[in-house]
Amino acid sequence: MLEQLGNGLLLGVIIALGSVALSLLYGVTRIVNFAHGEIIAFGAIVALFFSSSPDSTLLYLDRFSPLGINFSTSVILSILLSGVFGGLLELCLFKPLRKNNFGNIAVLVVTIGLSIFLRHVYLLFASAKPTSYILELQRREDYFGVQLTPRNVQVLIIGFAVMVFVGIFLTYTRTGKAMRAVRDSSDLASISGINSDYIILVTWVFSSMLAGFTGIIQGVINNVRWNMGFLILLLIFAGTVLGGIGTSFGAMFGGFIIGILVQLSVGLEFMDGHTEAKNAIALALMIIILLVRPQGIFGSKDRIS
Amino acid sequence: MKKYIIAFFLLVISFLYIFLSNETGGARVFVNLMTFAGIYGLAAIGINVHFGWTGLLNFGHAAFMGIGAYTTVLLIPHSLGREGVVISSGLPLPLAILIGILAAALLGLFLGLPTLRLRGDYLAIVTIAAAEIFRLLVRDFEDLTGGVYGIIQFSDSLQNSRPDFITRFGESYDISPSQFWVGLLTWISIIVVLLILSRLKKSPWGRALRAVREDEDAVRALGKNAVLLKLQSFMLGAAIGGLSGIFLVFNYGTVQASTFVPVLTFYVWAALILGGVGSLAGPALGAVIFWVIIAGTDSISRFLFESPDGQQLAGVRFVIVGLLIMFFMIFRPSGILGKKEELLLDVK
Amino acid sequence: MSNNLLSIRSLKKRFGGLQAVNVDKFDFNENQITSLIGPNGAGKTTFFDLITRFQNADSGSINFDGKNVTRLNSYKLARLGMVRTFQLTRVFDRMSVYENMQFAGSSITNEGFLNSLIQSSSLKNHEKLLIEKINETLELLNLSDMKNSYARELSGGQKKLLELGRSLMKSPKILLLDEPLAGVNPKLSEQLLQIIFDLNKKGINILMVEHNIDAVMKISERVVVMAEGKIISDGKPDFVRSDKNVIEAYLGSSNE
Repeated sequence: MLEQLGNGLLLGVIIALGSVALSLLYGVTRIVNFAHGEIIAFGAIVALFFSSSPDSTLLYLDRFSPLGINFSTSVILSILLSGVFGGLLELCLFKPLRKNNFGNIAVLVVTIGLSIFLRHVYLLFASAKPTSYILELQRREDYFGVQLTPRNVQVLIIGFAVMVFVGIFLTYTRTGKAMRAVRDSSDLASISGINSDYIILVTWVFSSMLAGFTGIIQGVINNVRWNMGFLILLLIFAGTVLGGIGTSFGAMFGGFIIGILVQLSVGLEFMDGHTEAKNAIALALMIIILLVRPQGIFGSKDRIS
Repeated sequence: MKKYIIAFFLLVISFLYIFLSNETGGARVFVNLMTFAGIYGLAAIGINVHFGWTGLLNFGHAAFMGIGAYTTVLLIPHSLGREGVVISSGLPLPLAILIGILAAALLGLFLGLPTLRLRGDYLAIVTIAAAEIFRLLVRDFEDLTGGVYGIIQFSDSLQNSRPDFITRFGESYDISPSQFWVGLLTWISIIVVLLILSRLKKSPWGRALRAVREDEDAVRALGKNAVLLKLQSFMLGAAIGGLSGIFLVFNYGTVQASTFVPVLTFYVWAALILGGVGSLAGPALGAVIFWVIIAGTDSISRFLFESPDGQQLAGVRFVIVGLLIMFFMIFRPSGILGKKEELLLDVK
Repeated sequence: MSNNLLSIRSLKKRFGGLQAVNVDKFDFNENQITSLIGPNGAGKTTFFDLITRFQNADSGSINFDGKNVTRLNSYKLARLGMVRTFQLTRVFDRMSVYENMQFAGSSITNEGFLNSLIQSSSLKNHEKLLIEKINETLELLNLSDMKNSYARELSGGQKKLLELGRSLMKSPKILLLDEPLAGVNPKLSEQLLQIIFDLNKKGINILMVEHNIDAVMKISERVVVMAEGKIISDGKPDFVRSDKNVIEAYLGSSNE
């Protein structure tokens, strides 16, 4: 069972980052964003496009050849572009919907449409085959009984650092405090002179940068493909729900639990020969949590009614 | 009235297009399209009971369709899995279909009982997760379901009931008689289901569902059990979904785990939104228009790519599906046949 | 136990650090209009929610019409004859005024799935009988002209009237009105007050939360004042008006 712990931590960090981003956006905008997975994939694919060597034929339409920039620069550019992408989504799509009093459910259906649209644009323009970043292959080593490659360890540390940074940002900075204020009560926030439109835009940008980063992490740990965001989205929902929708710390914690649980369940006896069903266990756990404690482990009850 | 005329003309033009663009086999293409449209339309009618009538967000319709289909197929003679184990005994088909529909309703009960107390958007997440769980279990428990290899050779139960004149009609017009039979039964089912639903819609029960859609708290304040009403609506929609799933697998002649992927649900949603959420016949019409559009997107693919492969065809199709869902939800949420007064814009 | 229509003992509700409601004793029996007033955040609406079972109390007991209803579902309580309205009016927007009334009045048996499918003659008869009652009630509320309009096309005041009318279809023993005059223009307010007054004369008990003090003092026979979750004064309007607890509570809140 222990040999799966490494994989569990890696899946956990992906889900935790994705959950923090999703939870932040939901908290401030009340949008259940089914296109969240596609923003994650955006980050991964853009980084792939920037970093792959120009003569590789990873893109469907051969008129676009990769740029071949070095990997770290690609990552930073991709995170920035993810932010711009999220900001544009807010300005061109979600803000007008809000101004026209679209209800949460109508917006939810729109995000489903958006998700299907974006995902298949990726299918047409980016590689349909799983593709890896041009990083050298590494062998797994033993870290306190957990099997990971050195790069995996780096990814885990960076992932943790980013989540701590998000926590600090929300707790101590002016913008972060304003985001939490809007999250807890948008009416109250607008009375106290916080510009909700501005805060919502910042949230979109920030959450999308985080999502883009999540995608790159996912791409480094596994690989990049057009539907990678959709595959991970349900697990991210599970993580968010488990920790408690609207709480960043809860989302992070819930994400790790889900990731570890999914991977560890592979080692369970009754799971023998049923590897595909591992995700089913996480999803079933999510449904059970919703039934017995819909506010999640760390959420407060009045958020859900 | 005007919108019905517009809808009618849209249909006539698209059918003409189908016949003219397929010089040989126009009738075959038409029957194929109408069969799929009927199946998706029936499924969309089920979601319409959930969403249009009651305001419930069901994104796991594939599971209801799937459980209906698997239950029915496993109860009649079939052959299973990688080795093709033949099971030659079984129940009479009508009974098996009835049990299949019942199984879908029971899955609705099982999922609805705990989740319908939750807020709307939670239901969306739970249903999509439940559908994914269903698919993964079907895939993994190969002994029972045939897994990815699926189930085959179950169509005879249905095709043996095909009257001779259908066979002769099919042969003389170069149509697949078996598909024609499935399509015909599907559309007859749609008519029967719509007759029942139109009766229910005008009844006190239908009125109560609409009240639940508008404001659950007010419903409770007036002494009505909102959860029970939602549960009944959920089960009814699920049962209709189950029936459509049964027709779907009879149309394919096989069923695998991949038949009931999440995108199936989204296709059905697109048909519903196109036709008109809340209207009675809207979803069926929406499904026809949806399949006409899908046929049209393949021409776009051929324009974009010299010789599009399967992935490119699917990609273009879904790009259009996604755009349609967004476009209609934003600019015409009442669809083609829905009432403007019942716009869904400000649903909480 | 007492034979009060409504009898509440040590009802408590906390939100985090805030004791929203803490009511030791509240009885309601006489056929009269009782008003619940108090500064913003005094816990009046929460108190309403607790009584009508829209929220669970942390502790305490509620007796209604001789039954202990402390753990009863809100809809079952409504069936026993306790019907409420909401502070933010809740009409069924995309149903006609008439359908709003029909839904409120139709019997639970007829709303059963199978009964609705079969549509027996008793169901049809009941629906016919309903027509008369709906027309009477709409007449009473001056809404007859709007019968076929969608509820969302009504003005704020008309929505309040419709919500009241819907509640009347239930023939309640007690009506709990949460700010029936909020956002209603003065002329319609006058009319609404008269309707409430007349209903009471016909034998419907009324308990209402209202901010319009003048209206409250004019119409109520009993006024209950809440502050910080507690009942601080309870009596005839004149008594409450001169109670120094009340003056303090209101003056205190005006300094906020």
